[in-house]
Amino acid sequence: MELTITGVNTITYPYLHIWDWRVAVYLFLGGLTGGLMCMSAIANLRPGKVVARDQPCCWRIPLLAPIILSVGMFFLFLDLEVKKNMFWFYLTFKPLSPMSWGSWLLVLIYPPMILYAFAAVPDDFKAGMKPGLLKTWSDRMRPHLLLLARINFVLGILLAIYTGILLSTFVARPLWNSSILPVLFLVSGMSTGTALMIMMAKRDEVKLFFTKVDIWLIFSEIVVLLLLFYGHYTSDAAHRASIMPFFNASHQFFPYFLSIVALGIFLPLAIVLKFLEVKGEHSQHLGASGRFLMHASAVLVLIGGFIIRFALVYAGQLSKFSGLS
Amino acid sequence: MAISRRSFMKYVAAAAGTSVLAESPFIGAKARAKAEGGKAVYITTTCEICFWKCGVIAKVVDGKVVKLEGNPLHPQSRGKLCGRGQGGLGLLYDKDRLKVPMIRTGARGENRYKSASWDEALGYIAVRLNAIKDKYGPEAIALFAHGSSGTYFANLLRALGSPNITYPSFSQCLGARNVAWELTYGHAPQCTCERVDLVNSRVVVLFGTHLGENMHNSQTQDFAEAVGNGARIIVVDPRYSTAASKASMWLPIKPGTDLALMLTWINIIISEGWYDKEYVEKYTTGFEELKDSVKKYTPEWAAKETDLSRRQILEAVRELGRYSPNVMIHPGRHFSWHGNDTQRGRAMAILTALLGSWGRPGGIWLECKTTFPKLVEHPEYPEPEEDAAIFGDYPFAGGEGLTNVLRETTISGDPYPVKAWLVTGTNLIKTMPGQEETMKAIDNLDLLVAIDVMPTDTVMLADVILPEATYLERHDGLFAIKTMEGGVSLRQPAVDPMYQSKPGWWIGSELCKKMGLDDYALKGTWEERMKREAKLWKIDYDELVDKGYITIPNSRHPYITADNPPTFKTPSGKIELASSELEEEDFDAVPVYEALDQPPAGQYRLLYGRSPVHTFTRTVNNQWLWELFKENEVWLNADEAASQGIKNGEVVYLINQDGVKSEPVKVKVTERIRRDCVYMVHGFGQHSPQLSRANNRGADDQKLISRYKVDPICGVTGMRVNFVQITKEA
Amino acid sequence: MPRYAMVIDQSRCVACMACVVACKRENDVPPEHYRTRVLEMVEGRFPKLKSEFRSELCNHCSNAPCVTVCPTGASHKEEDGTVQIDRNKCVGCKACLAACPYDARYINEEHGFADKCSFCQHRLKAGKMPACVATCVGGSRMFGDLNDPDSLVSQLLRENPYRVLLEAAGTKPNVFYINQYPRKS
Repeated sequence: MELTITGVNTITYPYLHIWDWRVAVYLFLGGLTGGLMCMSAIANLRPGKVVARDQPCCWRIPLLAPIILSVGMFFLFLDLEVKKNMFWFYLTFKPLSPMSWGSWLLVLIYPPMILYAFAAVPDDFKAGMKPGLLKTWSDRMRPHLLLLARINFVLGILLAIYTGILLSTFVARPLWNSSILPVLFLVSGMSTGTALMIMMAKRDEVKLFFTKVDIWLIFSEIVVLLLLFYGHYTSDAAHRASIMPFFNASHQFFPYFLSIVALGIFLPLAIVLKFLEVKGEHSQHLGASGRFLMHASAVLVLIGGFIIRFALVYAGQLSKFSGLS
Repeated sequence: MAISRRSFMKYVAAAAGTSVLAESPFIGAKARAKAEGGKAVYITTTCEICFWKCGVIAKVVDGKVVKLEGNPLHPQSRGKLCGRGQGGLGLLYDKDRLKVPMIRTGARGENRYKSASWDEALGYIAVRLNAIKDKYGPEAIALFAHGSSGTYFANLLRALGSPNITYPSFSQCLGARNVAWELTYGHAPQCTCERVDLVNSRVVVLFGTHLGENMHNSQTQDFAEAVGNGARIIVVDPRYSTAASKASMWLPIKPGTDLALMLTWINIIISEGWYDKEYVEKYTTGFEELKDSVKKYTPEWAAKETDLSRRQILEAVRELGRYSPNVMIHPGRHFSWHGNDTQRGRAMAILTALLGSWGRPGGIWLECKTTFPKLVEHPEYPEPEEDAAIFGDYPFAGGEGLTNVLRETTISGDPYPVKAWLVTGTNLIKTMPGQEETMKAIDNLDLLVAIDVMPTDTVMLADVILPEATYLERHDGLFAIKTMEGGVSLRQPAVDPMYQSKPGWWIGSELCKKMGLDDYALKGTWEERMKREAKLWKIDYDELVDKGYITIPNSRHPYITADNPPTFKTPSGKIELASSELEEEDFDAVPVYEALDQPPAGQYRLLYGRSPVHTFTRTVNNQWLWELFKENEVWLNADEAASQGIKNGEVVYLINQDGVKSEPVKVKVTERIRRDCVYMVHGFGQHSPQLSRANNRGADDQKLISRYKVDPICGVTGMRVNFVQITKEA
Repeated sequence: MPRYAMVIDQSRCVACMACVVACKRENDVPPEHYRTRVLEMVEGRFPKLKSEFRSELCNHCSNAPCVTVCPTGASHKEEDGTVQIDRNKCVGCKACLAACPYDARYINEEHGFADKCSFCQHRLKAGKMPACVATCVGGSRMFGDLNDPDSLVSQLLRENPYRVLLEAAGTKPNVFYINQYPRKS
């Protein structure tokens, strides 16, 4: 068919070019933060285990979470075209807009996160906290640690899932338009959060616990990813077309093809490594090589999570409701 | 289900009834401005992005033109403007415009100029023109013109005593067509527009006329109306044009064989008795001669000659027969194709007569009879001492003269030397075939003056460049608008001239004064003259200024009726199916088919045409139009491309039979064209660095038209006779 | 309250681009950006060809995804049925560009806000047609109020089979197309 179009905007033709690495980075960091919040809450809430207040997993993570989220939001802010109008997000609430939900969530999530961080600071460090106001707050919040952990657990889930919900509502972008996308983002967020927990935790017991958790999460991640592709493949023409870049090794689509290959290697490899660690260390005592493998597999998970976000943000903009090419 | 025209008009009426959305009945510029709160001022004027003369309403806010719209009262625009008219602002505010008078300091073509004041520049010209006049005689001074500015310099030349005024629109465009119809009917089928009653046609035949890409406002509106009415459109074109895409039948004819098809149709119409017997009896002569002459053109023969199927040939003519006389053989517009074009035009005129559609609904309407007295405010022009060097040996060369003859005279000096050219409103290098000859002629000139708006290739060769104000900045007119009715329009400035540009009337008048021809200079301003002309034409000037167009009452008599019989200004007083005038000059009285040379294998006939967003080189630098169509492409048949290993979008070069090579140009591989020809939009391949957008974009088809065939009857240059090869090598 | 809609007779479109230029001038659309476009499609093999000309623009959907997704309410539906953008509220998050299946929107690079066809609302208020409709040489674009059963557009939709673009997207567009192909009698 000979097609001539006069009057195209390059921002939408031949395909959408609105969101780039800045948005991908935010999505990754947002999901990571959600995962961190959930996993640190689990760490603090594990039944039958005495909460060790000097556990890095227990207090460093709650402190790190708002910082990571802020970095992510900074990148998101960079993506806005009219930055000076940002306050308008907070003068309206559109109940039908996931983006509106998200913008409010990103603001309302900070107080609970920060209070949780305060609550989690162990006594040893309190002495060194200046100014004194910080110590006061920390003391005030400490009794509420478990409650705050539960709240942060829920907020973590919301944070990890809402960006997936947002993207999934775009009927115009078939690659994203699936109810399984939020599930993928949630699981991916959790698994990356867990991976970072593993790296930052000091005690072997904690590291191994979260390794076991991560095995299940990565496994779920792979399953959900496969379901996403399979679901699109068996859906209508536009959905089918939307996943084609991933299976096309030509010059134009090579990065997408590469990302699928990478995911196909990294994620299963991470599972295998973790499985080995869990299997071989009944004594729960990790040697230097064991630690190394553990960290390596965690890094693989983090990279995998990043690739997923990146690939989906870019490939989603290639897909069109009318895209049958 | 088709929307019949009647029901469409019903819808329009219904729409007019709804209050909010009614097209505000146009009640004059003043009333309109008031309705919009007084911020905007509306000026009625006339467009000149092309030569259709659409009525425009310019919206001016704070001294800037912000929007151009069609004047609903004006019959050439009817409230609409095409893309080029809408984009007129892009010309007014083009930073590449000519801004100050310039006098050449370097060699011609070196592009070295110094700015000069008007006084200096006009003085420079006056001195030299007078010198040439003294040495060689006034006839050594020539004018090439197109558009309204021609008037003012034609006045100058006539005042000097030179008869050498010529317009490329005859010899490079519609000359042969007009001559053909004049030989047949005594009138060309043209007034301000072609007199084609498309909205009432049941069948419309277009021979190559690419309406839609050829964007003549009201005619395209009528064409779309015909399409909407369910008229049968038959397009005879080697290319699947926009018009072809609307057609019930597309006949992809072998280029150069149109006459074969036409003569066959004439034969069939006569032999089947599908011609309007009463009409032919009453209004024509030469029927028997015609009948005998076309006997040999059978559909079988035509099918072979034209590469069409016999069925198509018969089906098409059957439609014509079935619906005559409300059928249209569109006379065409750009007509100088192959060197036998007058005879081709004759065949079309004859077909029209046989079908009885001259003077009938759906055919060619009869000219409105309004006459507009000439306002002459100067003494009679001196009688030229020499014959004009613009007619050559061509017995039917029209009043507009032949540019090619004038060029030839300039080169050879025979019958007398031509030493000065004034060029206005036409980009000669891109207009005339045989660019080398044009350059040679220019070399022989002592003076080349260009009066123009943009720094085109031709302008940048001139010795003196005078920046003309754009159509949005000046007065012109009054314009006698003859469509189905008679009417008057005007051009008035929407804004003051920018930079140092001046209106053509001022330049022409000042030049007269500088040359001591004060009697022929303007007294006062052109607007004052327009007022006097309005008085002479019994028009209320203030009303004209407000409305932009005034209808002459009782001027509409488009069809033959008892009270409105047709008149034919032919020697016999009738429609001459066999032309007595041609016979007298030893040409075929009835067209006779002769096969043309066809391109050998691997070569393609070069065809050219228009884009709806461009008026050839006039608009290619216009920001709003350029961004929609930045460069032309060469259309190549997909099978041909495959056999040559050429892919869509690939950059190639065209080389013609004389070895002339084109600029690099992209290929459009398409199924929309025959295998034996290629097609390009004309007007690209500009080489003027001052044109920041248009410079070096696309390829110049005119460059490849180094060969041309001159029609012996009227001297026009047939330009579709070049064969090109395609190469990928630079 | 009116419900403005456009009916486009594709058979009358001659791809002259007058609408594209008129819209740009009327609404001061920046260079190389467009609120409307024209598609020319030709299929088949020489000489058996078939063509479709189609102009596209914002459909001012009754169920507009761009309005639903906008976090600040900058993109909103007005009482006359048109979808408009309040430039002062637009953050430039571009979710509306992602949401529109018709690729009707663009970003005004100079100021950052999202922009699109407004059905020339400023002209509607002055009792005029949108610029593209007013200048359409082919008489292809027609405009009116669907809530008025006697309007041109209401009549056209009653009397002609029509379609909308991407119906399955559920956007309920208010731009309707009739006579997809020129009639070949």
